[in-house]
Amino acid sequence: MLCVEARSLSKSYGDVVAVDSVDLVVEPGKIFGFLGPNGAGKTTTIKLLTTLIAPSSGTIKILGTDALKDPLGARRRVGVVLQQPSYEPNLTVEKALDKYGMMWNVDGGTRKRRVEELLTAFDLKDIRKKKNDDISIGQRRRVQVAREFMHEMDLLFLDEPTVGLDPSARRALLDYIKGRVRGGLTIFFTTHILEEAEYLCDEIAIINRGRIVAIDTPDELRKKFGRKKTIKVHVEGVRDLSGVLRDVGPHDVSYDGGTVITLHSADSERALVRILQVLSSNNIEVEDLSVVPTSLEEIFLKVVRDSEGQGDASGI
Amino acid sequence: MHPVFRLVNRNLTISLNMGFVIWQVIFPVIYIFVAGFAYTALIHNVPFGTRNLDYPAFIASGMIGFNIMNSTLISGIIIWNDRRHGMFEQILVGPFTRAQYILSNVYTIGIIGLFSAGLITAIGYPLFFKSVEFNVLTVPLVVFAAITGAILFGSIASIISTRLKSSEGFNVVINTVFLFFAFVSTAFYPAQGAPPVLATAFYFNPLTYLVDVVRAGIFGNFTATVGYEMLVLLAGALVLFGIATKLLSRLEI
Ligand SMILES: Nc1ncnc2c1ncn2[C@@H]1O[C@H](COP(=O)(O)OP(=O)(O)OP(=O)(O)O)[C@@H](O)[C@H]1O
Ligand SMILES: [Mg+2]
Repeated sequence: MLCVEARSLSKSYGDVVAVDSVDLVVEPGKIFGFLGPNGAGKTTTIKLLTTLIAPSSGTIKILGTDALKDPLGARRRVGVVLQQPSYEPNLTVEKALDKYGMMWNVDGGTRKRRVEELLTAFDLKDIRKKKNDDISIGQRRRVQVAREFMHEMDLLFLDEPTVGLDPSARRALLDYIKGRVRGGLTIFFTTHILEEAEYLCDEIAIINRGRIVAIDTPDELRKKFGRKKTIKVHVEGVRDLSGVLRDVGPHDVSYDGGTVITLHSADSERALVRILQVLSSNNIEVEDLSVVPTSLEEIFLKVVRDSEGQGDASGI
Repeated sequence: MHPVFRLVNRNLTISLNMGFVIWQVIFPVIYIFVAGFAYTALIHNVPFGTRNLDYPAFIASGMIGFNIMNSTLISGIIIWNDRRHGMFEQILVGPFTRAQYILSNVYTIGIIGLFSAGLITAIGYPLFFKSVEFNVLTVPLVVFAAITGAILFGSIASIISTRLKSSEGFNVVINTVFLFFAFVSTAFYPAQGAPPVLATAFYFNPLTYLVDVVRAGIFGNFTATVGYEMLVLLAGALVLFGIATKLLSRLEI
């Protein structure tokens, strides 16, 4: 049984098409990463999949249940951490966890045990007696994420769960998530942080302007979009090289206006030779040269840019 | 436990803090004991049906209605806070429907309304026990008033909470509306003897009906007028609850 199965899913707000004929399939036991720039439609997709809003068209099945016909049934074994904060301002951290478990009908004994586990796992022990109103924003986010693990579920939606977390809290959360996935949980996860997606996800979909523009495993994405190497050339002295670089020809060259020239090319050897020729004929000395395998971030930027029809010409 | 009761449990947990209880007790106590006795010098007796009540008994019974109304602010505050702090959405992606959310609010105000009525009855009892005329209608009338009144005012508070965006706006509007209800009503003074315009205005105010029904129960004065007032109260509660439900179920996310 698939955890998420959405077909031709669309959602419009007036003239804005927030989600545009999206097809998504998430298999059990996987971590599915959903990436895209601001306003791409990630949150809208999560709201659709969790039945918070109704689609303009399309179908949604969650854990085998038709989410449009039986939204309550579809949510029964689903956890959701929305992008926006949510908390009860006057409850203490431990009480907030406990009450949330109560809302999910978890029995008292189990709740008590889980509260202790989660306070430890999310490093909340020191602030367990503090009210949600009196803790920091990052701490509140941790409580919000921890709270979702109070109840049993098969599928968990996380909309940018790590925003506002410090690096160690972030890593702890990612590792906690990995642990839970080994225990059988399936995760639908959005983020802006590409390393996070790389560290965590089995499959990645990139959405832009409401449309899925790429979907694959991180490795496949790299193979597909990352054949090109990125070469950075550092030159001596600061001068405007824009004019000179025009002679390099049909290679994807970008220039920061100072001493760094970046080159993306599948045909990197030839491009490099060409750029060195141009530089030496202009008496510009090369200080340093580095070759970087394409990062997911660059793939992301490229895929998004391509989907906007701007092609390769502009720089990163 | 049924989902609605789980929500009620949570509603009560987040709203019944010490501050609320103190506010619910201190305010009426001041009114009943300070204003009640201070005004006795000015107002000796309040004509009520075929007899006279002393002012402390009159105001203590009025405070029951007043407190029921005040306690329902809670429902507005819960909805307001849930929207502002994201819990509205969080609940709706959980194991609950909108209808259950709305229903849980009704139960919550019903419970808090009854609790308030009971509390003020206990506090005010020494003052009106001389005039109390228990009969078979006493408890049903007070409970009817508490529940319909709670739903009616709770719906008003809910409607305001769904219509407003800024939190200052919410507090100002809700306090102004409730202040108007409190003072343009028979809670603190009788309609008889008030200037005709004011006396008429009293009867455009649901709190007047609520208080009248409570008094009819406590002082054993059930008349046709009271029956009519109960109908008005019930109709008002149903209509306003319908509007509140509609607004809540359409609330954009
Ligand atoms: N309630 C709404 N009414 C009108 N337009 C909306 C509404 N919610 C979202 N949109 C629009 O839909 C598009 C997608 O928004 P969405 O919140 O899904 O983006 P996102 O990918 O989650 O972005 P971010 O990374 O900033 O969270 C945006 O253009 C946004 O302006
Ligand atoms: Mg978003």
